[in-house]
Amino acid sequence: MSKPGHNNFTVKFANVNGTGSSSANGMFMRSIFRMGIPVVGKNYFPSNIQGLPTWYEIRVSDKGYLAPSGTVHIMIAMNAQTYAEDLASVEPGGYLVYDSSWPRKELMTRDDVTVLGVPLAKMCNEKFDTARSRTLMKNTAYVGVLAALLDMDVSVIEQLLLDTFGAKKHLIEANKTALDMGYDYALENFKCPLSFRAKSSNKTDGHIIIDGNATAALGCIFAGATVGSWYPITPSTSLMDAFSGYCQSLRKDKETGKNNYSIIQAEDELAAIGMALGAGWNGARSFTPTSGPGISLMGEFLGFGYYSEIPTVVFDVQRTGPSTGMPTRTQQCDIMACAYASHGDTKHVCLYPANPEEAFYLSTEAFNLAEQLQTPVFVLSDLDIGMNDWMIKDLEWEDGYVPNRGKVLGKEELDNMENFYRYLDVDGDGIPYRTIPGRHPKGAYFTRGSGHNKLGGYTEDAAEYQDVVDRLLIKWETAKSLVPQPEVSYSKKNKMGIISIGSCNDAIREARDVMKKNGQSLNYLRVKAFPFSDKIEKFISQHEKVFVIEQNRDGQLHNMLITETDADSRKLESLRFYNGIPIFSKDIVKQIEDSINSGKAA
Amino acid sequence: MRFSVLDWFKDEKGKLTSKKINDVVIPCDTVILAIGQENSFPWVERDIGLEFDQWEVPVVDSVTYESTIQGVFFGGDAAFGPQNIIEAVEHGHQAAISIHKYCEKESLTDRLEYGMNLITAKMGIHEWSYSNDYGYENRFEVPTVPMNERFKDINIEVELGFEPGQFQEEVERCLNCDIQTDFAANLCIECDACIDICPVNCLMITDNDDEDNLRKKIKTPADNLEQDLFVSEDLPQTGRVMLKDEDVCIHCGLCAERCPTAAWDMKKFTLKVPYALDEANAIDVNATKKAV
Amino acid sequence: MSYIKKPKIIRDNESRNKLGMTVTDYEGVMSTLCAGCGHDSITGAIIQTVFDLNIEPHRLIKLSGIGCSSKTPAYFASQSHGFNSVHGRMPSVATGAHSANSELFCIGVSGDGDTLSIGMGQFTHAIRRNLNMLYVIENNGVYGLTKGQFSASADVGSTAKKGAANLQIPIDPCQVAISIGATFVARSFSGDKEQLVPLLKAGMMHRGFAMLDVISPCVTFNDHEGSTKSYLSTRETKREALYTDYVEPFTVIEVDYDQGSSIEVDLHEGGKVILRKAEKEFSPLNKSDSIRMIRESADAGEMLTGLLYIDENQPDFTEVENTVRKPLNEVPFDDLCPGSKSLAALQKNYK
Ligand SMILES: Cc1ncc(C[n+]2csc(CCOP(=O)(O)OP(=O)(O)O)c2C)c(N)n1
Ligand code: SF4
Ligand code: SF4
Ligand code: SF4
Ligand SMILES: [Mg+2]
Repeated sequence: MSKPGHNNFTVKFANVNGTGSSSANGMFMRSIFRMGIPVVGKNYFPSNIQGLPTWYEIRVSDKGYLAPSGTVHIMIAMNAQTYAEDLASVEPGGYLVYDSSWPRKELMTRDDVTVLGVPLAKMCNEKFDTARSRTLMKNTAYVGVLAALLDMDVSVIEQLLLDTFGAKKHLIEANKTALDMGYDYALENFKCPLSFRAKSSNKTDGHIIIDGNATAALGCIFAGATVGSWYPITPSTSLMDAFSGYCQSLRKDKETGKNNYSIIQAEDELAAIGMALGAGWNGARSFTPTSGPGISLMGEFLGFGYYSEIPTVVFDVQRTGPSTGMPTRTQQCDIMACAYASHGDTKHVCLYPANPEEAFYLSTEAFNLAEQLQTPVFVLSDLDIGMNDWMIKDLEWEDGYVPNRGKVLGKEELDNMENFYRYLDVDGDGIPYRTIPGRHPKGAYFTRGSGHNKLGGYTEDAAEYQDVVDRLLIKWETAKSLVPQPEVSYSKKNKMGIISIGSCNDAIREARDVMKKNGQSLNYLRVKAFPFSDKIEKFISQHEKVFVIEQNRDGQLHNMLITETDADSRKLESLRFYNGIPIFSKDIVKQIEDSINSGKAA
Repeated sequence: MRFSVLDWFKDEKGKLTSKKINDVVIPCDTVILAIGQENSFPWVERDIGLEFDQWEVPVVDSVTYESTIQGVFFGGDAAFGPQNIIEAVEHGHQAAISIHKYCEKESLTDRLEYGMNLITAKMGIHEWSYSNDYGYENRFEVPTVPMNERFKDINIEVELGFEPGQFQEEVERCLNCDIQTDFAANLCIECDACIDICPVNCLMITDNDDEDNLRKKIKTPADNLEQDLFVSEDLPQTGRVMLKDEDVCIHCGLCAERCPTAAWDMKKFTLKVPYALDEANAIDVNATKKAV
Repeated sequence: MSYIKKPKIIRDNESRNKLGMTVTDYEGVMSTLCAGCGHDSITGAIIQTVFDLNIEPHRLIKLSGIGCSSKTPAYFASQSHGFNSVHGRMPSVATGAHSANSELFCIGVSGDGDTLSIGMGQFTHAIRRNLNMLYVIENNGVYGLTKGQFSASADVGSTAKKGAANLQIPIDPCQVAISIGATFVARSFSGDKEQLVPLLKAGMMHRGFAMLDVISPCVTFNDHEGSTKSYLSTRETKREALYTDYVEPFTVIEVDYDQGSSIEVDLHEGGKVILRKAEKEFSPLNKSDSIRMIRESADAGEMLTGLLYIDENQPDFTEVENTVRKPLNEVPFDDLCPGSKSLAALQKNYK
């Protein structure tokens, strides 16, 4: 999609972080959305609080493609420091808006790009008194410029201002002034509108714009999670922030006004997971959000949770590794780290949402699975899903939903029981029964990460030990049947397929459309959970070639497909994207086509 | 059949007398009298110098078993009236010693003393030379031949004895009275391990006091006053004392097993009873004790 | 450790608590620790404590980290819920468990290694949260389970079994705890149940974080001459700051307390402590006093024991966090899940 068209273009904002640009950029995006045009925003921000370059890319896509396009049609170049590279990144035929208040020392131009200078700072300095409001309103003013250039419905923006600032009249006024200033300046000085415009449509009805950390948090709320423990880490922090925010309005005890939840900011991730396990053990639905470094720290406890069979939910909002990596860039680099987190023979149930919508549903599902399977369950989202604003279908909830709390023995069952043993496989599905502390005199048992036998007693006996770890494998098989099945798009005609995971989804959807147009259709399977469904093996066997697309350097999903399935590994070709930026569909198309052309693909 | 219920007491002269309290009648079809024979010596002439007491039983020395006629010895029921067979055997031993000495013309009263021996029962870290597990079972009834079978033959043994399994369990009920807890105060570091582990709560370390108070200080108080209370010497670290209520000890050995310094030990007790042969060989049983 | 199980023998004159239970009913499985280990004695004291306090076993949770000391929750209250977690991180599990149900009694057992090295972070943060639990450090100056390396509580000059002296300064859990705001800090000795049991009881009935540092000699690796945490050395250096009695609720106090010199503190969860004066003037109600006394004693080569600091007026974790007092794990799902209408309403903000 290099040529822009009506409702089909990308605007990129180059800002300095800490200047309040994100609310203006959000305002622009939301206005487009309210005009009924599908839109998605990608934030490329630094791991820093103030002063470093930050970009926000808004893709307007009639077709509703939610991956970044990888092209820039309008650049709002508000950061002198990155001006050169920002200019360079504009598509030929595109536009660049910059603050022309004072002449730029090195104002580089390109013949194939229209550079539009707007004296934003100058205008704002005249209109607003405080330094802070001048900086902020500069941002609103460029939204005004864009509104004029794209012929946007100004009433929509004005309504949005009213909705956003509500009672804060002075803010509404100021923003309106700044908006008009930019709008009027553009009308007077440039040829408006441009050849591509934002035309009101109805394609966003029944949709919302939200990030995946907020939806995951909502999932926790709706699943009835009461204990959340965490240690701040980008990009998972906003998950707990969102949970906390929702709790304020949704989780107060009616009688006492006290909290029907407990959010514990732990001293580190080692403690955060300990708390989540403690709460899960004691019968609360608990969770802890984190990112890669946190997973590394949680390792020992995660194995403990697996072996002593305690339910809890771990959200890994993945960011680039290794080590601290690039904390504000996205990757799918913890797939293996989570699947096999901790020493010893350990493996975990993992769910892989593709977008904020799924983050909601899989988050609620994770709590059910954790309690059904009595084990920590991971939800692996990533920075792209978690922190970017996506357009998703309205979330729905069925009233009368009953959470699946798994095999928890109640009073009557215990009354009628001679003796309760924690780790007996009574039903043959590998899942034993558990009790909640404090509820029944007969329910007591001892939880330990050291060797234990099926009765729950300490053991160093070879056979007794093995009995329990073997039973955990039976449970693993049961897990296979309980976890969400992969999403498959299959046609017998196609000899090649794609297997992918999580947030690659939208780029792949777009890439398949493009390749189909080019005469090359590929089937598609998206893995939604580990342990892997048998459908995956089947899918591979149905094709001559399967591209495994993922966002990490080492092809972690690819490796796991080889080790965890009996599929013919020679059919798999690993395509890896790992520069920290969400995948562009054009890169997928290129790699697949290159592979086919080079004869590597059958 | 009419039985009389008697109350036995000693009168002012110390003589054992009985008083009838009441009668009990047990209706029976047949009554078979099967109690022991009477102690009766009508065949001994009363003028040969043998003295008889008020029960018409010969007067016998309780140490030498000699009667009032030198060189004539009595034992068993004939000596002090009806007692059990174990004591009869002992009488026999003692009388044999006397007879030996009489023949050797030695003083009958100059006899070897009773001795005893304590040897540790500890074999290894959790191993004892006796079975220290506690049997919870009540006493098993010994299986018997059914009533109608018993009379078929005079030689039928009524008690059949235990089956092998029962026998093992019955034996486990033994409280191992021959195994004694033996305390070496100088070794105790007062770690409390023995007190915490004792299943009958019969130990305690506390400041020394008079006996009444000490008896109360044991976790489950030592209230059987007929049983002496064990009070150790002063313990080296604090000068307190170790108490033990022997009355309830089951000789499980856990105190000794949990004792880090072997201050408590379980020791097998052997009573050294001198026999005629020992007298003959002039063995001093107490000398063997020292040698162990 | 012993092959045979401790026989369960209930004697006729055995005392029973208000629940009709005997001390034996509060025991756990047979200890596998070395014979004479101080930790076993503390286990005995804890058994006595929960027995005396008439605690329903299933209303008690007992948690620990890793170490010989941390094995002990298996050895008491077998009818209670046990959690033997990972090394140094029992406080976090306790925090989570407590959040799920703050009505349960909670005992955490840790070692000096478990608390003062790997677990120092979690330990201090549990204090900071004033988590309502009894936290017992079974302090032997060594890592028992890994065979006798010095721990962070080893005193300067204390020698290892093979003779090498420790040269690093010790971390005193009591001073740390008081200085960062613990609301109940006490020190005792495994070999002195008369002191230990009332302190354990008071700690249980204290609302908030009750820390008990219990010197607990390791007979195998640290009970030799030259060790400052042996039975003998502890007895020689131990000095009582105050005599502590725990008085159950609704009991008539029979002992004649000298009003002038004894201090009474009502405990939130029931009963009170009565502190009787020992030799020196000392008030455990004042932080600076406590720390000064501890330091002075240490300088004089003594180890101050007893209830060293108490503040019964601080809000505990549940209160600070404004969490409901009733168990969170029993809040009906309908009160937790806002339902479809709410979901639709809140999504208006995302249009
Ligand atoms: C993460 C981790 N590192 C190391 C160990 C090995 N380890 C087991 S117990 C222990 C020390 C325990 O010392 P302390 O807490 O003082 O307990 P004690 O045995 O002395 O009672 C260590 C280091 C472990 N279990 N886990
Ligand atoms: S032998 Fe057993 S019952 Fe006797 S004192 Fe020792 S522990 Fe107690
Ligand atoms: S176990 Fe041994 S050392 Fe410890 S108190 Fe008992 S007798 Fe003394
Ligand atoms: S090694 Fe030390 S701490 Fe561990 S059980 Fe033995 S005596 Fe106790
Ligand atoms: Mg230690």
